[in-house]
Amino acid sequence: MSQAVHKEKEVTLLDLLDRILTKGVILCGDITISVADVDLIYLGLKVLLASVDTAERMRKADTGQSRAF
Amino acid sequence: MIYLYALSDAPQEEISLDPGVVDQAVCERQYGPISAWISPLAGAISPTTENVWRHEAVVEALMAVCTVLPVRFGSLFADGEALGAILAAHEHDLYADLERVRGRIELSLRVLWEQAAPPPSNQLVDASLTGREYMQLRLQEERRMREHRRQAEALAARIHQPLAQLAVESRQQLLLTPRLLLTSAYLVEREQMATFEQQVESLRAAWPQLRLLCTGPWPAYSFVTMTTVSDC
Repeated sequence: MSQAVHKEKEVTLLDLLDRILTKGVILCGDITISVADVDLIYLGLKVLLASVDTAERMRKADTGQSRAF
Repeated sequence: MIYLYALSDAPQEEISLDPGVVDQAVCERQYGPISAWISPLAGAISPTTENVWRHEAVVEALMAVCTVLPVRFGSLFADGEALGAILAAHEHDLYADLERVRGRIELSLRVLWEQAAPPPSNQLVDASLTGREYMQLRLQEERRMREHRRQAEALAARIHQPLAQLAVESRQQLLLTPRLLLTSAYLVEREQMATFEQQVESLRAAWPQLRLLCTGPWPAYSFVTMTTVSDC
């Protein structure tokens, strides 16, 4: 995989986490991810976004249709 | 317990889905005009990369064949009856959201810039400053930061506006981090995606000093309205 493609997948994963953990419909069920967990993940995201072009540690995303363009 | 991935219109035909989180089968349960896409689950679920992608894969597979409202990761219900009662209570709002996102996709944009905010003056920690000198320095700092913010807003608007014109709705946030000039999401008619991509390319050409990172198509995570617990 080229470095460019690898980075694109990391950007896609960041966007996914940003959406799936902090957006989307909330009903009255139990959200099993605690606010503290989300805050920690989100804090990590923000740190990573600050250097998204050099982030190499996130695992590759290889499912789903969403892509970087 | 029941894990919920998404809500959708009742599908016109049977949809076969790959296993979801924790390798559990995904099935549909109809509640009036709304279908809930669920898996049985023993307990809490961790936000591992694999689970997050499994959740997303289910939602995206549904998005390919019907209008879908993505549900936040980790939503668990005691049983089908409990889920049904909540859906019945919010049926009107949920159906309105389905209508809003019908035929539309979400596209994401992050714009990185190199123009970091001016660093705070070292003089501010100088103990020999008089009160007046200190306040004057603070005022200068404040003015520099306001000017930086004004530049960021002006530049972000020149990126955001041409894209927002192609969208039905949009959301934007400025400077989530010092390098992240703009974070935005656009609800776009599916057939407009190619035009949107072309506009992004035009903006990249016009602003080579910026990095425009786009992803999509996403389910309309940023454009559903039931997003706070107090709505329940």
